[in-house]
Amino acid sequence: MSALVKALYGVFSATALALAAGAAQAALPDLTGVWLIEGHVGAVKTVDGGTPALTAAAKKVYEEHRRAAAHGDYSFDGVTHCLPPGLPRLMLMHEPFEILQRDKIIYFVHQLNRLPRRAYLNEALPTDVDPHYLGYSVAHWDGSTLVIESAGFDDSTLLDNAGLPHSEDLHLTERYQLSADGKHLHLNYTVDDAKTFTKPWSGQADYTRQVGYEVPEEVCAATPADKRPRS
Amino acid sequence: MRTLKRASFAIAGLAVTVAAWGQVPPPASAPSGAAPAPTTLHNSGDPTLALTPGLRGATAAPKGAPPGNPDPHNLEGVWWMSGYQYMLGPDVGVPPPLKPEYMAILERRIRAKNRGTPEADASTQCLPHGMPRVMESPYPIEIVQTPGRITFLHEVAHNVRRIYLDRPHPAPLTQTFLGDSIAHWEGDTLVVDTVGLNDKTFIDDEGSSHSDQEHVIERYTKVDNGSTLQLIVTVEDPVTLEHPYSYRRVFRWRPDVRPQEYVCEENNRNAPVEGVTVAK
Repeated sequence: MSALVKALYGVFSATALALAAGAAQAALPDLTGVWLIEGHVGAVKTVDGGTPALTAAAKKVYEEHRRAAAHGDYSFDGVTHCLPPGLPRLMLMHEPFEILQRDKIIYFVHQLNRLPRRAYLNEALPTDVDPHYLGYSVAHWDGSTLVIESAGFDDSTLLDNAGLPHSEDLHLTERYQLSADGKHLHLNYTVDDAKTFTKPWSGQADYTRQVGYEVPEEVCAATPADKRPRS
Repeated sequence: MRTLKRASFAIAGLAVTVAAWGQVPPPASAPSGAAPAPTTLHNSGDPTLALTPGLRGATAAPKGAPPGNPDPHNLEGVWWMSGYQYMLGPDVGVPPPLKPEYMAILERRIRAKNRGTPEADASTQCLPHGMPRVMESPYPIEIVQTPGRITFLHEVAHNVRRIYLDRPHPAPLTQTFLGDSIAHWEGDTLVVDTVGLNDKTFIDDEGSSHSDQEHVIERYTKVDNGSTLQLIVTVEDPVTLEHPYSYRRVFRWRPDVRPQEYVCEENNRNAPVEGVTVAK
């Protein structure tokens, strides 16, 4: 931890200055609230309705996952034993999550096993991060669009609920746009991972604001294995 | 045994008197006087009742770190406990005022720990730590404030506490590991009230029992211009405690620390779901 903390430490003062100068903050959309994805995502589709083009090695792994799943064997999926699902899968599961939007950090606090995610605003993505299930995320506002860049992923997680694999080279870009009425959130995401896919690809998801919904305490370890959400 | 207990309380000079429920004794801070804190339960000297020594915990932020926010109503940021204790009684080395049958259970758990066969608890099964134990963490806690809400994001076992400032406790209450928390400001002190706790967790690491009737009141006050957050915890439980009690803790402002991904479940393969013994 200390190396990362030291590496990041220098950006604090620069960030503080940028924020002090940024009176434009007031114009930003407010994403704070509870959100739930519309529909159920099994295997991800690209924005043009296709399937991500896998490299030969990744295709072999994916097909093994599909064969196992066809027999009801999901042991390849860490979520079945309460491990974090990785990204973008966590954003594609049919489980509510809460966004807490602050000036320096955007927090995503998921109902799924209470997983937290932080995106640090106006910082560069560190170049050498220890792999984590949920990676390391930085963010910035591109006009009224929240852009999150993530890397540093553990390669044991899956990209979607169907078992799409990825490597540690995964670089994820998420772009979140709030609808004019504040009730809908649109996500366009881009997956760049040359070891897994022959070219970068983009997908999308839509979320509905869950007004008045309080995220309950969901504890995977207290949930019987056959009742744990995995999609 | 009861005679021994009472004698040791008297020796330690730490007996607490409470006239009635709702009347809470002033919290002790460091052990008073020259007497060192007990290192065995009831200050008995019995090695089978040895207490786990506390940890020094977090120090102040390093030089050059951004100073704390002096606004007393802004608790946002990363806080890290100083002076971590394994047993959360009214003073260091003193157990909670458990009723005899629950004191016997605490003794059993401490003896099991000292034999090297500790009894399973919530934390070893990757369950939330319960209250007030979750606040006694050697890992940082990040506080986030949004309208009507204060959220505690604990590094340890990704525990999350959602504290509501704009509603009462719901009725009926659903029992959970961390309970239902509401809060209000009394001057510059945030008062958090927690009920709706299940009885699957302990008050503390050593294994002091609470029931589903437990009621925890936390009072958070910033001191030293925002470099320190003081917490006074009051625990009430008509089932397991003889009377309510309080203790005081402090957290250090640590803007240099970023909470890390903590995945208890990664190391959970060998922990039992039922039963008691977790390790040899």
